[in-house]
Amino acid sequence: MAGRNLFATTNARVIGAFCVATLLHLAGAVLIPGYSSPFAVRAMLVLASLLAVASIGQTLVVIMGGIDLSIPFVIGFANVVAAQLYGDGWNFVLVCGLVGVLALVIGGLNGLISRSLDIQPLIVTLGIGMVVQGLVLLWTAGFPSGSAPQAVSSFVSIGGSAGPLPVPWLVPSLVVLSALVVLVLERTPYGRRLYALGSNPGAAPLALIDPVRMWIVTYAASAFFAAVAGVLLLGFTGSAYGDVGQPYLFQTIAAVVVGGAALVGGRGSYLGTIAGVLVLTEINTLLIGLGFQPSAVQAALGLIIVLLVSLYGRERHVSTTI
Amino acid sequence: MNPRLLVRARGMNPRLLSLSRSVGFAVVLLVILLAVNLILSPARFTPGSWGALVGLAAPLIGAAIASTPVILAGRGGIDISVGPLMGFVNAVVIQVLFLKAGISSPLLLVPAALLIGALVGAANGFLATVVRIQPIVATLGTYLILTGVTLTILPAPIGPAPAWLKALAGPWSILPLAVMFLVWWLVRRLPYYDQLMAVGSDDRAAYTAGVDVTRVRFIAYVIAGIFGGCAGLMLTALIGSADPNIGPTYTLIAIAAVALGGVSLAGGRGGVAGAAIGAIDIFLLQSVLTTFNVSTFVLQIAYGAILVLAVMLTALQERLAMRAR
Amino acid sequence: MADRSALTVRDLVIAPGASAVTQTIASGEIVGLAGLDGHGQELFLKMLAGLAPPLSGSIESAVPGSSHKITGFRGAVASGIAYLPRDRRANGIFPTQSVLDNFAVSTLSRDTRFGLISPAARKARYDAYREKLSIVAPRPDAPITTLSGGNQQKVLLARALALEPAILLLNDPTRGVDVATRHVLYDVFRGLAADGMGLVILSSEIEEILLLCRRVLVFRENEVAAEISGEAMNTDSVITAMFGRAA
Repeated sequence: MAGRNLFATTNARVIGAFCVATLLHLAGAVLIPGYSSPFAVRAMLVLASLLAVASIGQTLVVIMGGIDLSIPFVIGFANVVAAQLYGDGWNFVLVCGLVGVLALVIGGLNGLISRSLDIQPLIVTLGIGMVVQGLVLLWTAGFPSGSAPQAVSSFVSIGGSAGPLPVPWLVPSLVVLSALVVLVLERTPYGRRLYALGSNPGAAPLALIDPVRMWIVTYAASAFFAAVAGVLLLGFTGSAYGDVGQPYLFQTIAAVVVGGAALVGGRGSYLGTIAGVLVLTEINTLLIGLGFQPSAVQAALGLIIVLLVSLYGRERHVSTTI
Repeated sequence: MNPRLLVRARGMNPRLLSLSRSVGFAVVLLVILLAVNLILSPARFTPGSWGALVGLAAPLIGAAIASTPVILAGRGGIDISVGPLMGFVNAVVIQVLFLKAGISSPLLLVPAALLIGALVGAANGFLATVVRIQPIVATLGTYLILTGVTLTILPAPIGPAPAWLKALAGPWSILPLAVMFLVWWLVRRLPYYDQLMAVGSDDRAAYTAGVDVTRVRFIAYVIAGIFGGCAGLMLTALIGSADPNIGPTYTLIAIAAVALGGVSLAGGRGGVAGAAIGAIDIFLLQSVLTTFNVSTFVLQIAYGAILVLAVMLTALQERLAMRAR
Repeated sequence: MADRSALTVRDLVIAPGASAVTQTIASGEIVGLAGLDGHGQELFLKMLAGLAPPLSGSIESAVPGSSHKITGFRGAVASGIAYLPRDRRANGIFPTQSVLDNFAVSTLSRDTRFGLISPAARKARYDAYREKLSIVAPRPDAPITTLSGGNQQKVLLARALALEPAILLLNDPTRGVDVATRHVLYDVFRGLAADGMGLVILSSEIEEILLLCRRVLVFRENEVAAEISGEAMNTDSVITAMFGRAA
């Protein structure tokens, strides 16, 4: 019976997170004039989409039982390198290709080192991230220049529109991307192996799952989506900034956890992460709308994350795991 | 299996053995780095400057020690709020107590700092063990709350600190560290320590053997908080002022130091001595890189690379040790 | 009742100083492994599965026709060997995953259509084994931890059988399984052997080996202390060999 409750809980966590996001939005609409105005909703959708892209990798990695602290560094790396190379007159498609490949290498290295030597990914991804950031700073001498092509800017612009839709192309693209991520997790051998590996690493090799390969592939994917987020952020902010990814360090983890994933692996879903992303975006917008200082917003965010997770994200007592 | 585990944790020799095995690499690194430092900049390491030197390293060592008990308690136990706690203690002691309330006596400020630490630790412990939120999430919440509150009460750096406190980063810098080690040495004499290590290595077995797992873990968070408060005082002593932005930077480096010092992030293996050695390693590494007078960017690259290499070598060495047995 | 050899073990040394083991496991036979805990029988079984490297000697599978040397677990599976691990919780089940996921995890590519898993194909495959092993699982999409220990074990057996092996290696398969389920498993093992599969069963219970096997290898100090078969096989003879006293 305990197991059945667990199953119900996983879905309940996702539904719970969506409910909280809806409630927060209703609260905002009541408390703040203009909270539900088309422009405000569009802005929230764009911000949420950017966080959702950055959180894809964290979701995959957490399901597998790992954690990726290199995401903010890779975001900054992609942001600066793309701007710099495009500013130097490179073809932007080529730039994206190069940034993508480099990100895959960085991520692959994260996974390879962590798994093959059985080292905590927390330390490895942090160290690799610092090296990556240092290299970028060295290359640009600390002052990155360049900007994004117009196409990227309008792709993410809050005022943009996607054909008949009043949102920039980023939002419908994210919907499609989300569907693909969910499909990969639910219906491909890779996805099922990812959950199995996170659920019981000891049993995985006997079920013909190659842990090292899975870790390389998954961390490479994580870095790749971080790089995508970095390039999109370049379009969003207009100019390169090496620390643009820093807020995403804890936000991606918070989104994944609020969405019902367990950091010990084997549980979680991208749909849950999307719910978590919406909750975080709503809280942020609501508090800023209520006139809180950024520092107070941060404190309130911490409080609310703890409250929410204590409502529906509690772990089981050790006595029930025997 | 269950009782055997407890017995094994209680035995003295295996403990020493595992300490030397897991800390081994950090010690080797320590010796090498110390030698390199002595050759490169002998002036910095003359006995006359030892006080200042220890004071410079103390906050990181303190942060690493504070991060250890919770990690030892196992099952994903981790306290990422140690850095922000240090910053919070720093802000409250200087801005609220010293400058606004005019309290300057160490007899009041030191207990206040430790009390803040204990309360934050208790809050973390309550969230992580009683409410049972995953520790990294619970302490992430505390991290954000403390950072936000610190910035609210202290939007910009302010000074100065009382003179006695500054002396703790100079001639008396060894004192707070010595007290921390003494406290941990006493903790190790208690049955609680055996319970902590048993819970860390296998909480199910410990629970079956009658250990109150929740209580043991809760106390670990409180100890971490008290140590964090102490580290906050050391940070205040070092910077001689209050700065809302420095504290949080210690969190990840402290955890890196703990890992470098052979403390298993899975729990139940390692100790405070290892964490301190790991922290000293990182400090000496910073010191070496600074003497080369390279740009801060190169510093960061070398820093990250050596961190990864160090944990890789530790893992390889452990693997070889396993094979040799 | 084929007598084709399916697995050939030549001069296999399990531990330093132990004498070599040479054995042939034929298709359609059930061979028992017995011995006091830690006397090499488990290591022997793991070497057959490619999970532990032998000190010297070789293991070859001869199915179907061509022979493959076993050097690793993947190779072993590819040449028709399946292995059921001993500790269900540590090395068997994926606790957060459904019964279906747990069943299909080793053979995921068999259900894919254009890279995507077809739930219908997977369910059909599972149903075949559910019937064969009489698995009692009201909801196959519920986590495997909702099942009783015996049914969890059956799902793991179904996972191994889904590989359609020629040789099945069982590491104490009825540990922590209720008596009724045990007898279902015994019937399944006999049926598999009758269909031509070679089975190697390590068991900590002598009665089980006497019930299932016609041949038992008794291990003592990392070597085969005795090979007993037919009439000579009884509780006394096996125990005597386990403790190393002269028969």
